[in-house]
Amino acid sequence: MSEPLENLWAAVVNGEERKLQIAQSTRLVDVLRTHLNLTGTKVSCEVGRCGACMVLMDGEPVNSCLVMAYQCVGSEITTIEGLHGEKEDELHPIQQAFVEEGGFQCGYCTPGMVISTKALLDRYPQPSQEQIETGLCGNLCRCTGYGGIIRAVRTAGENCVSSFTLITGEKKVNDL
Amino acid sequence: MLLNREQSGKRWHLRPDGVGKVTGKLQYLTDMTLPDMIHGRVLRSSYPYARIVSIDITGAEAMEGVFAVLTSKDVPGLNRFGIATPDQPVFCEDVVRYVGDAIAAVAADSPERAARALEAIRVEYEEWTPMDSTEAALAPGAPVLHEHGPGNVLHRTEIKRGNVEEAFAACEHIVAETYYTPRQMHAYMETEGGLFVPEENGRLHVYAATQHGYKDRMQLSRIIGCSEEDIRVVSSPIGGSFGGKDELNVQPYGALLALRSGRPVKMHNSRKESVRAGLKRHPMKIEMQTGISREGMIQAHRVRITADTGAYATLGAPVLNFCTEHCLGPYSIPHVDVEGISVYTNNGVSGEFRGFGGNQAIFAMEGQMDRLAEIMKMDPWEFRRRNMREKTDPGPLNQRILGTDGLSQVWEAMDRSELWQKHQHLPADPSLPPWIKRGVGAAIAMHGAGLGYGIPDPAGGRLSLNAEGKIEVAFSYEEFGQGLIATLEMMLCDLFHCSTSDLSIIIGDTDRVPHSGSSTASRSTTMAWMALQRLQTPFRSKILSVASTLSGIPADELITGIGGVWRKGQLPPAVTANDTTIDSRVVVSYADLAKDGEAEEWTFDTHFEYPTTPDNVVGGHYLYTYAAVAAEVEVNTLTGEAKLLDTRHVVAAGPVINPMGFIGQIEGGSVMALGFTLTEDAVMQDSRYITTNLDTYLIPTIRDIHTHLEVEAIEELPEGDPYGPRGIGEIGSVALAPAITAAIHQATGVWVNRLPVPRDQLIKPLDVPLQEGVNRS
Ligand code: FES
Ligand code: FES
Repeated sequence: MSEPLENLWAAVVNGEERKLQIAQSTRLVDVLRTHLNLTGTKVSCEVGRCGACMVLMDGEPVNSCLVMAYQCVGSEITTIEGLHGEKEDELHPIQQAFVEEGGFQCGYCTPGMVISTKALLDRYPQPSQEQIETGLCGNLCRCTGYGGIIRAVRTAGENCVSSFTLITGEKKVNDL
Repeated sequence: MLLNREQSGKRWHLRPDGVGKVTGKLQYLTDMTLPDMIHGRVLRSSYPYARIVSIDITGAEAMEGVFAVLTSKDVPGLNRFGIATPDQPVFCEDVVRYVGDAIAAVAADSPERAARALEAIRVEYEEWTPMDSTEAALAPGAPVLHEHGPGNVLHRTEIKRGNVEEAFAACEHIVAETYYTPRQMHAYMETEGGLFVPEENGRLHVYAATQHGYKDRMQLSRIIGCSEEDIRVVSSPIGGSFGGKDELNVQPYGALLALRSGRPVKMHNSRKESVRAGLKRHPMKIEMQTGISREGMIQAHRVRITADTGAYATLGAPVLNFCTEHCLGPYSIPHVDVEGISVYTNNGVSGEFRGFGGNQAIFAMEGQMDRLAEIMKMDPWEFRRRNMREKTDPGPLNQRILGTDGLSQVWEAMDRSELWQKHQHLPADPSLPPWIKRGVGAAIAMHGAGLGYGIPDPAGGRLSLNAEGKIEVAFSYEEFGQGLIATLEMMLCDLFHCSTSDLSIIIGDTDRVPHSGSSTASRSTTMAWMALQRLQTPFRSKILSVASTLSGIPADELITGIGGVWRKGQLPPAVTANDTTIDSRVVVSYADLAKDGEAEEWTFDTHFEYPTTPDNVVGGHYLYTYAAVAAEVEVNTLTGEAKLLDTRHVVAAGPVINPMGFIGQIEGGSVMALGFTLTEDAVMQDSRYITTNLDTYLIPTIRDIHTHLEVEAIEELPEGDPYGPRGIGEIGSVALAPAITAAIHQATGVWVNRLPVPRDQLIKPLDVPLQEGVNRS
């Protein structure tokens, strides 16, 4: 049975090629949560304000509630499930820092926060306060008051630098 | 003690739910799916106030992929819910009273189909003019929303003592002010939802967030018309609540749709629907007149509170009780005349919210204190000290309370603090442009915990050694982010010197936990601690006596520890669970102990009530937590923007069990209060929400928060205090607003009486000359 071509959606999700027959107007957040059962990506405001649905699309942070399926065909998508430490069952240094500093409470904003932090530290390995605020002001957290999150980002910055070589592609060059 | 990671040392305890949360692997109840599940949606009212003329569901029923369409006719039991007063219809029969009212619900095989089915339902209304304010609802001849009036009055409160008229006449100064507070939204990041599963044995499994699974189960059984045992409610983990999920929300619809269709039904509110239907903090108008003697002693206090409770009762009455109690502050006042009224309107439903009416009251009362101190030309902190209650004084309602030194301790700690000291001589900063003004303000609060006298407030818990040899505790408290599981782990490790790997902690599942009351009113930590105090002795002696029988070593030479029972003196102070030599050193392991005897022999239960005042004062509290907050604020008088630069919270709540959790609760509460003070308001016009999502309803982002925040904990309790650590879930959020507005006054000279602070009040007209280099008005 051959489906009409426009219904075929294909992208690399967390390093794995995924294909789906879906309407091209499906939101990426639904592709992930509903069709691929990747519920680590959360949904909250659905208007691009809260950052709970943040994922990396070709390395850039995007609100997956604002991206339509047709806009991400062929792209490389990293969700929270795709983040890990040097071994697959280990925490990424960012995740480790969130645990150690108490950078979460209910945890519902956390996957999006971690993803935004990843994007931030990829760009600025040792971010200034200003850069942290700019990098994370698209992620709302109602529980922590952000104190623990800021401490986690700082700690992660220190740990990432020592344990990881950062990607330094053209667009990610530290422009401090 | 200043609380931070460094000071906390070994008590910096990593949360057991951390890995699941940072990896996204933890499934919230709204993340759950089942292969054959269908999707539920609710049709809500098109009008805030109208008569339903007819409902036609035939179009929706005929649609492909639609499994159930329900209206009020399909509710087998009681078509009402509400924790205290069940007056909210599951489905409206004839009248709609607010825009969140439900008229019908559908379940279909995809969310899109369910949405289309809703559109196919035809409802004919006769539109009425909504009562969009308490004034409109109290106007003579106003239509009455509920039978249990009188009129549109849900509840009245009153405190009267002394002779206020005479006292005012004799006062040297009187300050009169009216304070207004906003309709704050909980804005938990996870909106309401869950999965509702009819089981083969006829039982219904409900996976949905609530702060009190047993209460949900009771209400659902009433709605469905079945026994409570036919329902299992699984209610943790929760993506935030702050009081907002204490009432039923999607549960009645999910449950009824699942039973009708025979399939698992998933519900998950969109943010817009959550705003429309969900609870908010009560907007209040508080009129206060306070009179003082020549010496600056408060003589008379008159208060009129008007609360907009919206279309249904929920906890409107207890919230008003709490507000009434707290509008006297921690001060001794001889002549008092307080009246409160909670009014039904066609606005959104107001209910329980962190602080529970204390936030509004404390904003007003502390505002009075600052205004009075200024009239006296007295330091506002000294003015408070003069008027503060003594340790042995009765509580605000003249009820006996447990005396602690908390109030004077937080006062003194704040008095000494560098931040508050700045208030005296705020240095002018010549590097700042002249339109930037700075000020420092402070406020103090006593905040009751528990539900108060006369309201059933049961507590309890279960401690057992389970078949796998784990020390198992079970409570009906919920984890909504506050760190309850981590706190329980720490309490148990402290009590039994064991490691977290020896523990099994069970919460949030009515099939597996005893009824130990709700997670609300800052009560869970205290109740869990008190339960464990009661359970530890019988549990420990059972363990040690069996271990003694098995090993031949006298029980008094034995002690519980990591992995099992040890010989006293051999349990090293610092042993870790992954130490491989443990097995050879424990006398009897927990696993071996558990094999001895029946499960019941290893299970210990306790039941008791939250401690209340012995005096017959409904709603009166017995245990209080104390806090002082100082804030340094910078105001841009060109834009009217106020920015919180530095904040210090001093909290007297007894021993800090879990420092990470404590800091998190105070920081989080503080930022929530910052939103309450500066930006948050769920604005309604003609009883419809204007701010329908997080793009217009502005909660603080990482850019808007305090540049600096310190938390100081005062851990002392009276010697032998039997109640242990007090809850701190609310205390961080109750006193920041008046501290900020006091700071704004120092910076600009403006007395703010309305929250969120109206920016236009802080903008200086252009023709007022600005003074170079002086940051004070
Ligand atoms: S759900 Fe996408 S930004 Fe809020
Ligand atoms: S931890 Fe709950 S929203 Fe951030």
